[in-house]
Amino acid sequence: MARYDDLSVGAEVFDVAFTVTRADLVAYADASGDQNPIHQDDAAAQAAGLPGVIAHGMYTMGLAARAVTEWAGDASIEDYTARFAKPVVVPADGGAEVRVAGAVRKLLGDGAVEVNLTVTCGGEKVLAPARATVRVG
Amino acid sequence: MLNTSYVGRTLPATEPHVVTAEEIGGFAAALGTKSDGAVASATFLVSHTLPAADRLIDDPDFGLDFTRVLHREQRFAHVRPVRAGDAISCLVHVESIKTVAGNDVLTTRTEVTVDGEPVSTVWTTLFVRGDA
Repeated sequence: MARYDDLSVGAEVFDVAFTVTRADLVAYADASGDQNPIHQDDAAAQAAGLPGVIAHGMYTMGLAARAVTEWAGDASIEDYTARFAKPVVVPADGGAEVRVAGAVRKLLGDGAVEVNLTVTCGGEKVLAPARATVRVG
Repeated sequence: MLNTSYVGRTLPATEPHVVTAEEIGGFAAALGTKSDGAVASATFLVSHTLPAADRLIDDPDFGLDFTRVLHREQRFAHVRPVRAGDAISCLVHVESIKTVAGNDVLTTRTEVTVDGEPVSTVWTTLFVRGDA
């Protein structure tokens, strides 16, 4: 559980990795209603000019939010913004690894922290920039 | 190419949808997030705001071909979290259309309300590949 008084601007506060599989993308498609075939079918992805099946941008953004909330405790995210810089290609065999690192960007007072997120896959930034404001204890 | 005369237009508000604990829990589970089904995840509303904007895809005068679309940017500004039992309504505004090197960049802003009270503002930016 993060405590506001312990934080300082620039401090790295978490760094976690998630494995993303095609089964995860099917589950996310069902839960979110986004059944775009580029997230499930290689042929559809390639027809759209992609190397193969890619994760929903919102899946990756959702994973990064999970990292923030797991760090912050039960606090909820108040403002959350991301640009989808590169697609996360998810091979059928073994999936892909997405890393999410968070650093304090601003201390906004009254427990509110703006966290800068570095979200990478295979060493490349996939969300950039990505920032979340969360109120911690 | 998108019909730029749509900039500034607002689609009719969607009929209120009562969010269920199953829906909140299912969305959280798909992301591996712990949830008791009471409070929605930070990105949960996308499962309502994107379908609310489907009416733009269904409108032939707007010219949005979904097979050419990539999600470019997303922002959520939450007044409060969505909770099970909330009857949410989405009001979609076409905020801007920019043409860059023959491609269109469309930004919509969706105001999500419960009983007329603001809950969240959700911005979605889509990159729409041109013919070139």
